[in-house]
Amino acid sequence: MLKLRLINKYSESLIGKEIIEECRKGDFRNFRKVVEKTSPMVFSIAFRMLEDEDIARDVVQDTMVTIWQKLAKIKTADNFKTWVYRIAVNKCYDQLRKRKRMPEQRYDDQRWTLISNHLSAEGVTELENKENAQIISLLTNSLSPKQKAVFIFSELEEMSNDEIAEITGMKMTAIKANLYYARKNIATLLQKYL
Amino acid sequence: MKMREDNEKYNKMIEILRNSRPELLRPEEIEDKVIRRIRHERSKAEITSGFIETVFGWVYIDWVRRSLIGVAFVLIAVFIYQQASILKQVNNISNQVVIPGIGQGTASSSEFDKKLTIYKISSGLSGDREIKISENQLEELLDSYQDLQGKYKDLLRIIEENPELNKYIEKRLDEEKNNKPDL
Repeated sequence: MLKLRLINKYSESLIGKEIIEECRKGDFRNFRKVVEKTSPMVFSIAFRMLEDEDIARDVVQDTMVTIWQKLAKIKTADNFKTWVYRIAVNKCYDQLRKRKRMPEQRYDDQRWTLISNHLSAEGVTELENKENAQIISLLTNSLSPKQKAVFIFSELEEMSNDEIAEITGMKMTAIKANLYYARKNIATLLQKYL
Repeated sequence: MKMREDNEKYNKMIEILRNSRPELLRPEEIEDKVIRRIRHERSKAEITSGFIETVFGWVYIDWVRRSLIGVAFVLIAVFIYQQASILKQVNNISNQVVIPGIGQGTASSSEFDKKLTIYKISSGLSGDREIKISENQLEELLDSYQDLQGKYKDLLRIIEENPELNKYIEKRLDEEKNNKPDL
């Protein structure tokens, strides 16, 4: 947990207010730096939301272009990270809307074995992108896009409810309700199949 | 015991997922694509703005701008003057007496003018003096005028039919003519 928090703080401080301010005032020479520093965090959200590396990469591209288009219009660089997340989440929602509603997933022996192996292993193991996508997909399949977003931001990205409210535009009660439902649903699945 | 186990499973699963942050492979590829897209959009925007500049760029020349402002003011003044004069004319027309019926089948406008002139003369009014009468009064006047004309025609017919009366009237008219003093 400490490691992840350090990563978050590190990436945030690397963007640098000065660079954002310069870009905001119309100097886009430093935009490559903004792309370099913000792409990983956008990719993380997009990948966890969409469970597909290629689509997540497309979302990163679209998000960066939108940032470039709208950067001059933002009033201050203070909430830059939240603003970027908001753009990324909206792009993810668009992608999810495009997808056909997936049928209820049946028991997937292979995937549950994968989860079981990781759970029974000593300590906390690290997943590769492909495994990560498979497990998230299996656990969050029955969640709505909003429930999924709240779950990812709160449980995986470790954001506070205030931050989530700012990013998603949801009310605090809605965030709590969505998170409760998502946790309950995932816990029930784990209980049922493991 | 079971519940504790389930909680542990959930927490460990979350811990694993948190720990496995998705890794963005070949980030420079994305950077290049983004920069390329931005350049492409910029060049598209530049083409559009270049076209607009060519077509409408002349409006940014200082003296042209000032002249255009002047012309705009003149046009606004002309417009206001025109509107005011139209309003004035409309007011004049709406103040005039409207007599329904006249000029629509029963009598022609020239007939109406003739009648009006007769009325003016009989009332001792000069031609350019403004007269104000009600619709009823006018109708009464026209009726009596037509009645008078009918009676005059009848009188002429009677005179023509009766040669003695005709001679008598001619004689009286001649006498009257002769007795008229020279002015």
